[in-house]
Amino acid sequence: MQVKTWLAVAGALAAVLLVPPLLTPGADSAETTQVRQLRVLVPNAPGGGYDITARTAAKAMEDAELIRNAEVFNLPGAGGTVGLGRTVSERGNGKLVMSMGLGVVGSVYTNKSPSSLLDTTPIAKLIEEPDIVVVGKDSKYTSLRQLVDDWKANPGAVPVGGGSSPGGPDHLAPMLMAKAIGLEPKSVNYVQFDGGGELLASVLGGKVAFGVSGVGEYRDQIQAGTVRVLAVTSAARISGIDAPTLSESGVDVKFSNWRGVVAPPGISSADRDRLVQLFSALHKTSQWGDALKRNGWTDAFAPGDQFKSFLEEENKRVATVLKDLGLA
Amino acid sequence: MNAWLKERSELGVCAVLLVLGVLVLTDALRIPTDFAQRGPVGPKAVPIVVGTLLLIVAVLLARDVLRGGRGEAEGGEDIDLTAPADLRTVLLLCGAFLANAALIGVVGFPISGAVLFWGAAYALGSRSLVRDAWIAAGLSIATFLVFNNLLGVPLPGGPLMEVF
Amino acid sequence: MQQLLDGFATALTPTHLLFAAIGVLLGTAIGVLPGIGPAMAVALLLPITYGMEPTGAFIMFAGIYYGGMFGGSTTSILLNTPGESAAVVTAIEGNPMARRGRGAQALAAAAIGHFTGGIIGTLLIVLLAPFVAKHAVDIGAPDFFAIMVLAFIAVTSVLGSSRVRGVASLLIGLTIGLVGLDEMTGQQRLTFGSLHLADGIDVVVVAVALFAVGEALWVAAHLRRKAFSPIPVGRPWLSRADLRRTWKPWLRGPVIGFPFGAIPAGGAEIPTFLSYVTEKRLSSNKDEWGKGAIEGVAGPESTASASAAGTLVTMLTLGLPTTATAAVMLAAFQQYGIQPGPLLFQRESGLVWALIASLFIGLTLLLVLNLPLAPLWAKLLRIPRPYLYAGILFFASVGAYAVNADVFDLLVMFVIGLLGLAMRRYGLPILPAIIGVILGPAAEQQMRRALQLSDGSLTGLVNTPLSIAVYVVILVILFFPLVKRVAGRRTPPTPLPEREKVDA
Repeated sequence: MQVKTWLAVAGALAAVLLVPPLLTPGADSAETTQVRQLRVLVPNAPGGGYDITARTAAKAMEDAELIRNAEVFNLPGAGGTVGLGRTVSERGNGKLVMSMGLGVVGSVYTNKSPSSLLDTTPIAKLIEEPDIVVVGKDSKYTSLRQLVDDWKANPGAVPVGGGSSPGGPDHLAPMLMAKAIGLEPKSVNYVQFDGGGELLASVLGGKVAFGVSGVGEYRDQIQAGTVRVLAVTSAARISGIDAPTLSESGVDVKFSNWRGVVAPPGISSADRDRLVQLFSALHKTSQWGDALKRNGWTDAFAPGDQFKSFLEEENKRVATVLKDLGLA
Repeated sequence: MNAWLKERSELGVCAVLLVLGVLVLTDALRIPTDFAQRGPVGPKAVPIVVGTLLLIVAVLLARDVLRGGRGEAEGGEDIDLTAPADLRTVLLLCGAFLANAALIGVVGFPISGAVLFWGAAYALGSRSLVRDAWIAAGLSIATFLVFNNLLGVPLPGGPLMEVF
Repeated sequence: MQQLLDGFATALTPTHLLFAAIGVLLGTAIGVLPGIGPAMAVALLLPITYGMEPTGAFIMFAGIYYGGMFGGSTTSILLNTPGESAAVVTAIEGNPMARRGRGAQALAAAAIGHFTGGIIGTLLIVLLAPFVAKHAVDIGAPDFFAIMVLAFIAVTSVLGSSRVRGVASLLIGLTIGLVGLDEMTGQQRLTFGSLHLADGIDVVVVAVALFAVGEALWVAAHLRRKAFSPIPVGRPWLSRADLRRTWKPWLRGPVIGFPFGAIPAGGAEIPTFLSYVTEKRLSSNKDEWGKGAIEGVAGPESTASASAAGTLVTMLTLGLPTTATAAVMLAAFQQYGIQPGPLLFQRESGLVWALIASLFIGLTLLLVLNLPLAPLWAKLLRIPRPYLYAGILFFASVGAYAVNADVFDLLVMFVIGLLGLAMRRYGLPILPAIIGVILGPAAEQQMRRALQLSDGSLTGLVNTPLSIAVYVVILVILFFPLVKRVAGRRTPPTPLPEREKVDA
């Protein structure tokens, strides 16, 4: 009886040890010039910006047969810093990349995250998405100048809506604008909404004086004429949107939200080159080109070292703004 | 004295509420004020209200207990309130739960999940160890395969994952 | 109308019906899995539809969406482990029903509730979409806050027999709700520097921990050692008496659920709770509440389903995702190069009406497939007690772990589970704690947002017609008993039937 019990337990143990690995498709050997398998960590929830970028990129890679199997998984939390922590802890793993963007740069400060983006191995910047300064069609503002005059006169009475939490793109853009027109960032009445969707409702309903958000979610509204764009935050005008840039309206700010991919720290230079090559190849595919068009993203490809220096600059810029606000 | 305390063990709940209240209040007061804040209500206000209410309720509950009020333990189909609390079963069950948490990163989900199920079944009085072991292993493996392989929700597979 | 009929013509082809059926089955199967709510289910199943033509893909989605929501309630009822936040309230009456051998009835009430709520909600989409699209954006922070105040008043009816213990439970919930980064200013509260706590503790995790883990531990402490009779399964169908009790809650659900779903930031948690409280107040079987009142399943389920339909209105007409699931659906639309928004009905009218038609079909299939399954599901509870509770713990752990693949979540669940054990031991009701977790953060955020929009002026809380209307309702509710008492004095005093239970 006793023996039988032990045999059963041993058998069960053997089963739980052996069956899962046997039934799971194995990993490839690492010594190929091509990346065959890739895991993409998405540090926010399904449906979020990094998620859509990652899933779109993974699908384009598979369709273009650059890669056999790209697995996208979500590890949301703390504005992306939980995922960042995981990426940093996967030191040396050459088969993992994290989809990220400007929002994570700010979250590192607001969440007081122990790991920084500067710890990671930058692979490539992929896309940019300019923000827009937007009001509802019934708003009294028809130009940015009017808005700026009112804003300067009484910043408290001009609530700004944004779809990101403090440190995110929609929060940074109005703060940079305020600094440029000589307003104390702390005096800005920034009202946070849960994402661009909820913000849109407040802009349409005239709850906020103006909103700052990524252009993508608003294209249809702009076309339908329910909202009015007072300015775009990018350096150049955007095709299809009849609005001046900030600089043209006398506010000297150039700002774009961007997204890219980073890999864990300490990966071998061969791994790093392979990943950079993979994303360079992705950038050239027609599938990726179509995806950019479909999503209204601006191509802003910058591989490896270029991305690295860009990341460092952005990090500095974000840190300065957040220090002014007492958030970093 | 002991019997008096035992009769009024609900005072422990008051103590927990009190500690919770103090914790919430100290945490709220620690929040710095030198950051950008608009509007009259900042991040401190609600925690201070909740913390203060916790303290008040702790005192009110203590008063109620000392005056002889008793919380009614929850009954249920599987619950025999006439029996004394069975601490051993509770601890075994906690052990099974924590074993899963401790093992999952080390030996992978299939093993730790099986340990959890097997341990919990044992704690709750199942004594057919052989059958339990097989059920636990089957459940654990099936769950792993559905999540990891079918749905692509990664679960740690265990030490032999890299071997094959 | 013609367009809707054309939509049905598109959706009713055999291939599309098959897609809808596959969607419903997959959605239910995955929604039943722990830790995977409808948003995750849709995201996981998104790749299946790659390469399908848009109409087929969206018909499948409609099935997955409603199937996923229904799967969440199934575990809520049978195992006391809600699969998603909209199903949390269902567990309160649904699980006791299942324990008393009325699992099949609870599941049937939930399934029909889902069907009714969904059908009425979808009808309202057809009839009201332009109206809702126009007015949903007028609802702002002051209105939300007023509704939250109303909800807090409603909490008093679920505090249980001892007020002080009920309030203690509510405060515990509010404290759990405080954990995380303050949304407005990014300050850490009760996170103790841990990034894992920065987003707060998910209400589903709290609910599973308090309901399922807490209960397993409490049962372990006082396990009925003798006479293990399997839980009776009872007769499989709703009796006439059941139907008499449930048809009103089914119909009332959409009234509460649909508007909440349609307004931005509405969600399903608060309306399901309000539905629960409403049904409890209107019920003539008050003593059954807490022990398995079927109205408490029928109402909230119908509400949840109608709220899901309401969500679709704002998503389709404004391109506004008000829930995580809607956000994933929006992403799916964009995969096909379709941008929901004010122009969608003109640009893609064929597709939209096919989608709406497929919502009706998906709901009908859901009912047809799940009603016969209800008695089978309910048989799950016949397994021996040790396996049942071991299974519940296993299920809860997988759910907590799978979402983030983090042991920390298991520990959070364990600690809150211990809290659930203590609360059961000392008669602190569980429900107020859950409500605290749901209402606390939302109320705080809306209040502060309203005050920020008015630049600190207190008038910002009452500057909309809706908020004023809600406050008037609150005043009426608060003072009605008083007025009645004063009025009652004039009539000859009637003997009190029985001394009310003494509160703290």
